[in-house]
Amino acid sequence: MNMRLKRLIMAALVATGLCTSVAVAGEVDTLVLDGSTTVGPIAKAFAEYYMAKHPGVNVTVNESGSGNGAKSLINSGCSIANMSRFMKDNEFAAAVEKGVMPVAHVVAMDGLPFLVHPSNPVKGLTVQQVRAIFSGAISNWKEVGGPDREIVVVSRDTNSGTYETFHGLVMTHDVDGEKVKEKIKDGAEYVGSNGGIRARVQSTPAAIGYAGLGFVDKTVKALEVNGVYPSGQTVTSGLYPVSRPLFMFTNGYPKLGSHIHAFVTLHLSEQGQEIVEDIGFVPVTHY
Amino acid sequence: MRLATRKLLDVSSSSLGFISIGIMGVALLVILVPIFSRGAQAFVFKGTIEHRRLLLERFERGDAAAFAEEYEAVRAARQPVYDTIATFGAAQQQTLDKMIAVLTRLSKRNDSIARLVKRRLRRISDDEPFLDNVDTVSKVLERLEGHVDSAEIAGDLALLHSGVDAMAPQVAALEELKDAVANLLGPAPGTVQPALPRRQYGATRWDRAEVRLQDLLYETLWDYSGDGMGHRVLKPRVEQFRDTPMEPLFDYVEHHAEAMLQPRWTCYWGFLFDKPLDIHIFGGILPELLGTIYLTIGAILFAVPVGIITAIYFSEYARPGRIVSFLRTCVSTLAGVPSIVFGMFGLAFFLNACHMPKGVLAGALTLSLLILPTIIRASEEAIRAVPRTYREAALSLGAGRWHTIVTVIVPAALPGILTGTVISMGRAAGETAPIIFTAAASVAAVLSFNPLQVWNQPTASLSWNIYNLCTEHEAANEIRHVQFGMVAVLVTVVLVLNLFAILLRARIARKLKG
Repeated sequence: MNMRLKRLIMAALVATGLCTSVAVAGEVDTLVLDGSTTVGPIAKAFAEYYMAKHPGVNVTVNESGSGNGAKSLINSGCSIANMSRFMKDNEFAAAVEKGVMPVAHVVAMDGLPFLVHPSNPVKGLTVQQVRAIFSGAISNWKEVGGPDREIVVVSRDTNSGTYETFHGLVMTHDVDGEKVKEKIKDGAEYVGSNGGIRARVQSTPAAIGYAGLGFVDKTVKALEVNGVYPSGQTVTSGLYPVSRPLFMFTNGYPKLGSHIHAFVTLHLSEQGQEIVEDIGFVPVTHY
Repeated sequence: MRLATRKLLDVSSSSLGFISIGIMGVALLVILVPIFSRGAQAFVFKGTIEHRRLLLERFERGDAAAFAEEYEAVRAARQPVYDTIATFGAAQQQTLDKMIAVLTRLSKRNDSIARLVKRRLRRISDDEPFLDNVDTVSKVLERLEGHVDSAEIAGDLALLHSGVDAMAPQVAALEELKDAVANLLGPAPGTVQPALPRRQYGATRWDRAEVRLQDLLYETLWDYSGDGMGHRVLKPRVEQFRDTPMEPLFDYVEHHAEAMLQPRWTCYWGFLFDKPLDIHIFGGILPELLGTIYLTIGAILFAVPVGIITAIYFSEYARPGRIVSFLRTCVSTLAGVPSIVFGMFGLAFFLNACHMPKGVLAGALTLSLLILPTIIRASEEAIRAVPRTYREAALSLGAGRWHTIVTVIVPAALPGILTGTVISMGRAAGETAPIIFTAAASVAAVLSFNPLQVWNQPTASLSWNIYNLCTEHEAANEIRHVQFGMVAVLVTVVLVLNLFAILLRARIARKLKG
């Protein structure tokens, strides 16, 4: 009996010993990325590519939304914040107050395709129609040339950069020279990730949602907006009306030669561009 | 009469009991059977030659010589496909060359037509995608036909027209077909190695290969002719290539798919021990497994000593009174707090207030808070269950209070304490919410096997990554087997831990009795 107890006490001692010794343990080079779920696929693919090239570096990627990415960078919780929108004034202010100087790196371009179920006969909408659908003025597909079905409106959560982009480019419009922000209708569903939007649209024939270009696959249909189909070409040329850059933010411009610098410039290399394109986004430069 | 009523009540209550047990059993089956049957597909499946190529190239496993031999046969089986495509591509290139020759001739004229042609001809080059070149030609043709002098060059126009008409529908179809072939068989020989591993290999699993074969043979279209929603139509791709040398290709692919991929039943234990490749499209779940183990053990290391000491205080030292009952209520309440609240607390306290890095230590501490109430309650109950006579006997022999607790009471209560601990381990392994902000990452390197190097590293973990792969992964539909495999592993871990708790308890109880 005594032996067992001694062992137990030993285990407890070892545990406390561990807690104290961890504080002085050796360092591994770690890059922590946090933020947008739209930039997520690019960041994840880059991370694997980078870790394969540089063994001994741990690149971790988390997808918690652009807003959380910004907060994390401000609190020095991450070294690179992935964002699908630019930083807001108040975020900049909070960052500077804490001695963090956000620097933006544009890693890719992205259109914001509107996704419907492939069985939906509607081929395209105008920006006005999309706005009307999301604000609730249009609530049935037959009003835009589709079948007689109630529209299920699916939006991203308000913490996401994709939501901000959508809100800024689609829901905000000029009325008599004044900027008016339409509110998304009350019955809309809010989903926490791009993949979640796609999953919802896949399973709901009457749904409409929006996600990053990299999330369009055969299970959903991207709509033409103002007669333009979202694709690499129409996004880079600016023809597709709902386009945006995707960012990685760092604290100051990273030191040349550092892992962070190599990582945020990876998209400029030929391989980086190929990865961006293969995932479905639009590389910043064209060869 | 009263007796009859009683009997009836008795029977109905016992049958209710049986029914509810039955429902519970069925529910368990409904949940567990798909988890394990589909999860097993991550380990045992029909692996194709591409799977073996992946293992050999990426994980250096497998018999290289045998593979080379097999691959030679596969290459021979695939060659007709590539040959057919190449022949057809060459024929198309020839047609294009002819059209370019016509355009070049036109550009040598000395009028506005030449100027019109010359400007656009510059855009055509071998470096441009074939599709774009054909597109440019058809655009020039469009312009020429609208030109005032088009009658002059009617012969040339007709030639161009027939060329464009013959090619245009098939150019895009050919590109799509090439993609479908690459999806099924991997990149064509002689093409540049793609950057992403998912494009470097064809279908590694036969079940996925069948889906991709379907994609190759049939084009999915949607028929919107009806009034309501459209419905899916599968159109054989062969129709796009009727009366061309490509026609027999589809038949060949359909009947030689197995020869080209060599599916074979494979037992892939690497799913547990390999690192993932291309964000879980290939490879195993080692980082998740290791992360879960680190987090769970970490949580136990913190929670058990604190929990047992608290339980000893509550049951042995604390005088019954308002403060103690208040504390006890607090512990009970803590046990009922939703786990996401612990997650938020962990973020606010460990990360933001204590400036700990997001990583295993912060995650383990948060998890330990979550399981602490369970451990305190289980230990306290166990200590209370120790017969009073043990204490009295120990005290009567002259042992002090502390001595009694350490040598008599805690050992006697150990079965209960350990059961509580092991069950909490299961809970800690399965929790998602507390680690979202404190430890979890969608992608992270395999943690080092040295515990001292991992404390400040964010980590993947089974619970969080199952959620992440199901909702956020850009190819979520392609990797169902990985998702189910992870779920099966997690459920197995928890079940094994619980089973272990039961066995441990039985064994220690037996020992203490004997």
